Amino acid sequence: MNCTRRDFLQTGLGSAVLASLPGAFGGVLARTAAAAAQPPAERDTVLVVLQLTGGNDGLNTVIPYAHDEYARRRPTLRFAAGEVHKIDDELGFHPRMEALWRVYQQGHLQIIQGVGSPGADRSHEGAMRIWHTASPERPQMQTGWLGRAADACWNPQAYDAPVVFVGPIAPPFALNAETAVIPAVTAAGDLTLQSRWDSPGHRRATSASGEAAEPVGSPLLRYVRQCASRAGANSKRIQRVLASSGGGDYPSFTLAGHLQTVARLIRADIGIRIVLVELGGGGIGGFDNHANQKGNHCALLGQLSESIGAFVGDLQRDKTLDRVLLMTFSEFGRTLPENGRRGTGHGAGAVTLLVGGRVKGGLTGSHPSLTDLEDGALRVQYDFRRVYAAILDGWLGLDSRAILGASFEPLDIVRA
Amino acid sequence: MANDAMDTPQKPAPDDSGSRPAGDWPEADWAWAPYEPDQQRPWTLERAGHLYRRAALGANWAQLQLALSAGCRLTLDKLLRPPPEALSFNHTYDQYEASAAGSDSADALRAWWLRRMIESPDPLRECLTLFWHNHFAVSNGEVKNGRAMLHYVQMLRRNALGDFRLLLGEMVQSPAVLLGLQAAANRRAQPNENLVRPLFESFALGPQVASDEDVHQAARAFTGLFVFQGRRREIPREHDEGVKDILGQTGNFGRADVVRILLEQDAASRWIVRRLYRWLISEIDDPPADLIEPLAKDFAEDYDILRLTERMLRSNLFFSDRAYRRRVKSPVEFACHIIKGLEATVPTSRLGDQLARLGQNLYHPPTVKGWAGGRHWIHSAALTGRANLAAALLGEEKAYADKLDPWHLAQKYLFADEKSAGQFLLKLFVQDDLDPSTRETLLQGQDANPADSPSERIRRLAGRIVSLPEFQLA
Repeated sequence: MNCTRRDFLQTGLGSAVLASLPGAFGGVLARTAAAAAQPPAERDTVLVVLQLTGGNDGLNTVIPYAHDEYARRRPTLRFAAGEVHKIDDELGFHPRMEALWRVYQQGHLQIIQGVGSPGADRSHEGAMRIWHTASPERPQMQTGWLGRAADACWNPQAYDAPVVFVGPIAPPFALNAETAVIPAVTAAGDLTLQSRWDSPGHRRATSASGEAAEPVGSPLLRYVRQCASRAGANSKRIQRVLASSGGGDYPSFTLAGHLQTVARLIRADIGIRIVLVELGGGGIGGFDNHANQKGNHCALLGQLSESIGAFVGDLQRDKTLDRVLLMTFSEFGRTLPENGRRGTGHGAGAVTLLVGGRVKGGLTGSHPSLTDLEDGALRVQYDFRRVYAAILDGWLGLDSRAILGASFEPLDIVRA
Repeated sequence: MANDAMDTPQKPAPDDSGSRPAGDWPEADWAWAPYEPDQQRPWTLERAGHLYRRAALGANWAQLQLALSAGCRLTLDKLLRPPPEALSFNHTYDQYEASAAGSDSADALRAWWLRRMIESPDPLRECLTLFWHNHFAVSNGEVKNGRAMLHYVQMLRRNALGDFRLLLGEMVQSPAVLLGLQAAANRRAQPNENLVRPLFESFALGPQVASDEDVHQAARAFTGLFVFQGRRREIPREHDEGVKDILGQTGNFGRADVVRILLEQDAASRWIVRRLYRWLISEIDDPPADLIEPLAKDFAEDYDILRLTERMLRSNLFFSDRAYRRRVKSPVEFACHIIKGLEATVPTSRLGDQLARLGQNLYHPPTVKGWAGGRHWIHSAALTGRANLAAALLGEEKAYADKLDPWHLAQKYLFADEKSAGQFLLKLFVQDDLDPSTRETLLQGQDANPADSPSERIRRLAGRIVSLPEFQLA
């Protein structure tokens, strides 16, 4: 892969490719077609990372319903064989997760069991920081793994932002980058130019004015003009997507709205490679259910499942599911034993779900032991960075070793 | 009024690769000599606008006009020697901030700083405070202590144009810096390199000057320093009293010695000069050593930041096209230039949040290296964000409704009809330095919708001007 800045500079393309497009920012809006040329990206795969804030109870997400130990240690929170959506004679999806179960049946969902960090930080902040930095050894490190991926994607011809956060909260630390500016949006319309400020007359007048490139004094000006022309073109593309009827059939959850935004941005084809969305951080407690877990967790998993189900259906209709891989993560799972308040404590390993058209469907790994626990929690079977490495290398075509600071044996997640 | 108004004796190559042949650079003697306007390089509106962008966070029409009539030297005198009321202004704002800084969050502080940038009678100090915030970059995301951040930025402001030795000395014991770098506990048994490494590699010397061993030894000199509940504490029994070897010097050093030793290195003054060069003059090329050397030598005499700043700002190089539009405005600069240009005050809480979404969250630089700046500020989405922020500021958003009124402002300066008001805005925001087709396009677009009032059309013209690529450059 050759999308790092160093590689770019070594190839010596320099400013030669920064051919100047003339015209004002608004002026270029009219020349959409000319400006809409595709970037020379080697891949157009997209990663959607879905953060489940608060510590999702993996045991009640993919449920080991057939295990006596599960039923015994979860007297109030357990689900019986008849309630779950069965995967096999051991495991089943939570009753509210029918939509994801269907995705699983279609072969578009991989369940990786027992994913976590080798460290044992069970504070929300500490554990989340580890998932964000991908550095259990040095969690004080100042950048997040997706921020570093954004930095790695930068080159002086990449006029579009490769990484975007969709959501109303402050962007999670995973996106902290040394150099990249990562847009945070709540809707696709945030990336469009407001129409009242882009009058038809303005566009008409502009298209009439010549394309004759004048020499531009500052090389920075050439660069900014290129970005401006793409801003106009991208804005048009997004507006076309927003105006088209096929918006997908999404439930009214906030998460569904965000995934619909993601689908629209993918459809608009504006150079986005990585999107982060979040569930749980905006409300009270999120997935952190120390008491009376059942109702809240049911609601959250229902939102999660139906939102992803709608997203998958939307992308399928659009024939773009093959370009997309969605990964869920949470800072930790929860303890197997209930805590006496119909809740659970902070755990360790948990399931990570991968969804996508080219995801290898099925179960990865064995279910972690329910008797050999670590302070009441499931042991970690897979270092989470093996999932990251598989995604960075195998899916995005980036250099996982550079981004993660070490080599991790990638898990087998993508169909050839 | 084209780019060639900014000629230097040497014709610059039109690339930015940084691998320009050395011969392209002007001689240091010429470069740093004070700019004296002459027939070839007259004192123009472009140059006045350039100066105000770099040294004052933008200008309004009256300031530009006054600069033109007073001349370059007097204008610089004024920027470099602020009026007496700046003291009481800053004192008042310090008090506002002190009462706003109660919590873990720095969002209220962020709003006050933006307001201070817009209103301050000493804007150069705010430019330099931002420079140091970017240089000694710690984030409240790590510090999580509004009061510590308040003291840290006020310390930067107090020393922004003062003695770099004192600034560095205060910086290494600022609770915010120690907390932000995870250096709040410096035990004898576990010397902590979290502060010392950036101190060497990013704050004082630049990368690859000191060895790991120097850093390791210096960390021992910092032992005994702690932060408890946001306050600095010295615990003498935790200080390593042994002998340390740091950059060739040997002794039982404490942290003041480390600061002294760092400042004795030639690399220190060179590094700061280069950093300030990037901030004040140009982001797109790395000046050769002989250009940096005279300023570095002079700076090392007494580390007077004001004198260094003054020398740069008065120089031929600063007023040449080596500098003109050779920086990208940060989001904060972008907003300040609009708001100051239109002579209004806007609510800055929401603005702080919007600027964060454009990539510059004051009090929260992304890493210890600060904001990368330059081209990194800009991509298509960032430009869309800037255009939409401009639209919001100019009235699309309720919070700002009617605060900025370019039509009214044009009337105030007697640009009574729509055409002259449009030309006024072009001069105000980009000093009319546009290629003819861009200017034509902008002004033609004005006739588009005659149903609108002139006020509305002028408002939108202002929005389109500040969305121009030219306006994104400082």
